[in-house]
Amino acid sequence: MANVLTAAPHSEEDVLIEQMGYDDHFHEHHDGDKFQSNFITTYIFSQDHKMIAKQFLITGMFWGVIGGLMSLVFRLQLGFPEESMAWLKPVLGKWIEINAETGMGALSPDFYYALVTMHGTILVFFVLTAGLSGTFSNLLIPLQLGARDMASPLLNMMSYWFFFLAGVIMFISLFLNTGPFSGGWTAYPPLSALPQASTGSGAGMTLWLISLVFFVVSVLLGGINYITTVLNLRTKGMNMWRMPLTIWAFFVTAILGLLSFPVLASAFFLVMCDRGLGTSFFLNEIFIGGQALDHVGGSPVLYQHLFWFLGHPEVYIIILPAMGIVSEVLAVHSRKPVFGYKAMVFSILAIGFLSFIVWAHHMFMSGVNPFISNFFVVFTLIIAVPSAVKVFNWIATLFGGNIRFTAASLFGIGFVSMFISGGLTGIFLGNSAIDIQMHDTYFVVAHFHIVMGVAAFFGMFAGVYHWFPKMYGRFMNETLGKLHFWGTMVGAYLIFWPMHYIGMAGVPRRYYRFDTFQSFSQFDDMNKFITIAAIVTFGFQLILIINFFYSIWYGKKVTEKNPWGATTLEWTTEVDPGHGNWAGKLPVVHRWAYDYAKDGQDFISQITPLKEGEIETH
Amino acid sequence: MSTLENTVYSRNKIHPQKFALLVSCASVVMLFAALTSAYVVRQAAGNWLEFPMPVLFLYSTLTLIVSSLTLHFSYKGFLAGNVKSYKYLLLLTFALGVLFIYLQYKGWMALVSMGVELGTNPSGSFLYVLSGLHAAHILGGLAAVFVAILHAFILPYEVSAKRKLRFEMTQIYWHFVDILWIYLIVFLWLQQQS
Amino acid sequence: MTILLVIISIILIAVIVVQIGKVTELAAKIRGEEEMQYEVNRSQGGYMILFLVVFLIGCIVSAVYFKNYMLGYGPHLPASEHGSILDKMFNVTLFFTGIVFVITHILLFYFSWKYSAKKGKKALFIPHDNKLEIIWTAIPAVVMTFLVVGGLDAWNEVMADVSDDDKYLEIEATGFQFGWNLRYPGADGLIGEKNYKLISSENPLGQNWKDEKNLDDFLATELVLPVGQKVRVRITAQDVLHNFYLPHFRVKMDAIPGMPTYFVFTPSKTTEEYRQELKKYPEYNVPDPADPTKMLWETFEYELACAELCGRGHYSMKRPVKIVSQEEYDTWLSSQSSYYLSNIRFKESDPWTDKLFDIEVSSKKEALNSAFVFDNIGKELPIDALIFKGDKEFSLAGYSKDQLVLLAETLKSKQGSSVNLAVTIPTESDNVVAEAKTKLILDVLYANGVNSSQIDLSPVSIATEDNTTTKWVFTLLGAGLSL
Repeated sequence: MANVLTAAPHSEEDVLIEQMGYDDHFHEHHDGDKFQSNFITTYIFSQDHKMIAKQFLITGMFWGVIGGLMSLVFRLQLGFPEESMAWLKPVLGKWIEINAETGMGALSPDFYYALVTMHGTILVFFVLTAGLSGTFSNLLIPLQLGARDMASPLLNMMSYWFFFLAGVIMFISLFLNTGPFSGGWTAYPPLSALPQASTGSGAGMTLWLISLVFFVVSVLLGGINYITTVLNLRTKGMNMWRMPLTIWAFFVTAILGLLSFPVLASAFFLVMCDRGLGTSFFLNEIFIGGQALDHVGGSPVLYQHLFWFLGHPEVYIIILPAMGIVSEVLAVHSRKPVFGYKAMVFSILAIGFLSFIVWAHHMFMSGVNPFISNFFVVFTLIIAVPSAVKVFNWIATLFGGNIRFTAASLFGIGFVSMFISGGLTGIFLGNSAIDIQMHDTYFVVAHFHIVMGVAAFFGMFAGVYHWFPKMYGRFMNETLGKLHFWGTMVGAYLIFWPMHYIGMAGVPRRYYRFDTFQSFSQFDDMNKFITIAAIVTFGFQLILIINFFYSIWYGKKVTEKNPWGATTLEWTTEVDPGHGNWAGKLPVVHRWAYDYAKDGQDFISQITPLKEGEIETH
Repeated sequence: MSTLENTVYSRNKIHPQKFALLVSCASVVMLFAALTSAYVVRQAAGNWLEFPMPVLFLYSTLTLIVSSLTLHFSYKGFLAGNVKSYKYLLLLTFALGVLFIYLQYKGWMALVSMGVELGTNPSGSFLYVLSGLHAAHILGGLAAVFVAILHAFILPYEVSAKRKLRFEMTQIYWHFVDILWIYLIVFLWLQQQS
Repeated sequence: MTILLVIISIILIAVIVVQIGKVTELAAKIRGEEEMQYEVNRSQGGYMILFLVVFLIGCIVSAVYFKNYMLGYGPHLPASEHGSILDKMFNVTLFFTGIVFVITHILLFYFSWKYSAKKGKKALFIPHDNKLEIIWTAIPAVVMTFLVVGGLDAWNEVMADVSDDDKYLEIEATGFQFGWNLRYPGADGLIGEKNYKLISSENPLGQNWKDEKNLDDFLATELVLPVGQKVRVRITAQDVLHNFYLPHFRVKMDAIPGMPTYFVFTPSKTTEEYRQELKKYPEYNVPDPADPTKMLWETFEYELACAELCGRGHYSMKRPVKIVSQEEYDTWLSSQSSYYLSNIRFKESDPWTDKLFDIEVSSKKEALNSAFVFDNIGKELPIDALIFKGDKEFSLAGYSKDQLVLLAETLKSKQGSSVNLAVTIPTESDNVVAEAKTKLILDVLYANGVNSSQIDLSPVSIATEDNTTTKWVFTLLGAGLSL
């Protein structure tokens, strides 16, 4: 479907690698080795980064469906609070409370909050962190850098299995008698530290903590590999300024994760101590369940500092990979270099650095000294600048291009729209004076869903459609992909745009029902509308899933190595690369990753040496 | 993975796995940085029980420092062909590591006997958590030293690139947790003075 | 059964989806991939423009349509003095971000359409333009600086605490699972100390009754405030995090157990004024769905809500808020009674046993005076709590003695008056102790000039219902004449 607009086929690349490639004698040592010898080591306990990438992707998709279904259930409650949910009883069991007289089924408020909590936890961590960086960092870092595999394939494999284990524990927590944790994905104590405060804060919170500690280990193991591979295992000629933007993004993301997840772990350890060992890190002067507790001297605000020290970089850990993917996808499908490569790199670095000093903008109303908040406002609004620069650069990439609309490029363009919309509302929230009114309202819900729940997903979708040929040697169906795009693009705006209005009317978030308050009850119709839009949009995701799995076995076969006509190294390997990625020597790099439309040529692969008199572009 | 250094084009002089180890040390540093920052902020807020640091922690610190020395000299013996030195200094390192854990435990008991239990006051709680988490990381180090001991005693003596790398990585980690402890104990001591 | 149907439907949908995919792939094969791609580019480019138009129009039209529900627009101008500062910040930000939103979206979709691939076209090789980068870095930076300065100015002004020479009303709001305790300072204007360890069913806030500031504090189920008066809300929580949120006043602050926070604001619109504003808008001139006999504007009330997830009842923590004129507020105030006096005074937990308060002395004197009338003969006199201190050696509590002194004075002032003293003891208790205590009571009366003829002693009776304390009841026998 794709390679239709390029010039002659590029088997020249094979010749280039044979003649000028770097011979590391890899296959003398590794052919037929334990890496690929049986079903278990190939598909289950694989140490091959490409298989691990697929494991992350499919596990991420699984959790995406679960997290999405959860949101449909609680949206049903919000949109149709008067309708009976008794029909869900076979699935949700005791969490639907049937009124003996009327036979009406209502979702228990405890379980509503458990669903909201699990939705957030699952989507932020399992899908958008593991499912996004885990997949694409694993798939692309060795392939785009000309490496045989990650620096430590063993640790890489363990990274996946720790994620899997975290998932199993979280899954088990859904079936507890007292229910899964229900204090919000942010898990603020004292609510999360005291089982008396909420049923979900008992066994559910314990399992939630254990699951996430394993998850942190997974992220750290992955991050160590990504950083080491980027810094140590680039092929000859691949200096840092020739790396594609995807790699820059994954690299900075890994550094963010490495430095911020341990702080989350420290917060969790301290919560565990408060819960089980009688300490008072976060608890002070509490009367609950008819008792004055012994805990004295702690501060709930300390938890918030430790949590958001991860929490803020976390959202950049989510969006940066998506940004890297979109830069790549837009360049390839516009047949034009990404505009302002160096500016894009500096923006990624700036965003990465700044993301560490803005965390308390999540805490403006938490009782911290207002003076401290001043600094966080300054840095938060500064971080808007490199983000804006990236948006302008993407738009400039499209300018003067020869754009090929594929599912991948459509999602790339859609990403830019969503990032503009969601990013701009961040400017409101980052200004503390405005946050006084907007904090904890639907305005915040609209903001983060548009940037994370849509934009980051769009980046992920673009990546899936674009690199599916590399992963499986087949194409995903383009028409279904476009249908998926338009349904999701329109649907997502229909779901989240109205939430701005609801938030501006003052309606708080995390409310099970709105009818206690006259001021908040004005949006019954709008809530119905949002729920219906959510159900339909979720339905469109089924198209993706069906397309994905069907295409693995029956998709149109990829017949040439470089179907998209891209410059980067992953398209110089076999259609279905085996262990070691390149069948012979490693490619050697002579130029940056964005020579599209240079000197009248449709594209010039990174491994093509400079012609006589040609100046290398930066 | 074992032939990585032979077959892979590696750009830097430092071996990729060593580099990976150093990177993971950075994340461990962040864990303790978070806790020591929290300590400083909490201390400034008052209601902070002051108590003398049991001298056992000084002994354990010295033990750990000596264990780094024994590990270092074991490596020197390994390189120089002094097999006895190589083997027995490794054993000594392990023993000193275990002694460290034991002395930490005794230090906790000393705290309990002076009335400072885990939940008594945040000042005590932080000390327990910091030393406890550090001890957990020492246990990881002991596992690495244990594997080194197995290699020393079971495998035939050979100074191969692979074994050098393993030994060096064991050292890096062990010295790291040692320096980490020195940072923690000096930090706690300094904070007590203020 | 339902599960089976669901599974079958999913499979059906999957099959349909796959067929749609296959059909188009076939079409591509037949028409030629390149040709197909150009057609796709044309149509997708068209959809881009269509989306742009529908999207921008949709955004603007929907905003205008819903404007009058959003706080800060239409009838919802802020009900506090600082609110307009915040609303203005929002609008300034909206102005700049709105411009960026529209322009970038137009460029994004327009370029997508304009530069879609066509046969024979080539892309331009423009890798970068440093001048452009500088321009579009500098402009956002300048705009952000402007927003920061304005924002921080507003922030520091609004969040500043009261200074010592400010005149303000301080009230306290304590969030708990799942409601708010609202405490007013009473006549002394000061909120008394509380300690969570003292919380009991009789003392919901854990007020320390030894602190005199607590004695006039009262609790309210609604937040009633006078318009134009600066208020400092002291915000605390009992169990988990809550958040004190008054949407119409642009007030919000977390409530933390063990760490009081605050918010200072001045209500500037009475409830009635807000209603009159709402009345002007068609959105509020509809019947209230909750009470169709009234219009929506008529039933409007300000509300206090919780804005930090606190458990299963987080969505239901409402207290009504009423802003009234100074006169109405004063009237309301005078009808409130101190929690201490109504619930704690003379009970076991009352620490002020030495004496009656001055205000109690005067009101007790009055009460007794007006009780000694002919119509009240046979009725119980208003003597509260006769309490004894100590175990083996006991004595009358100071405030009990004071009351008896007042009774004595009244008896003395009404010549010919008399009272009956009836003693009821619990079912199994010491007759002897009761008698000794009764003697102490009588001693006080006699010592203060009461004639024994004025007191009639009934025989000690035993209580029929469950009670654990001895009771002394004075009943009026003869009203007498005033001297």
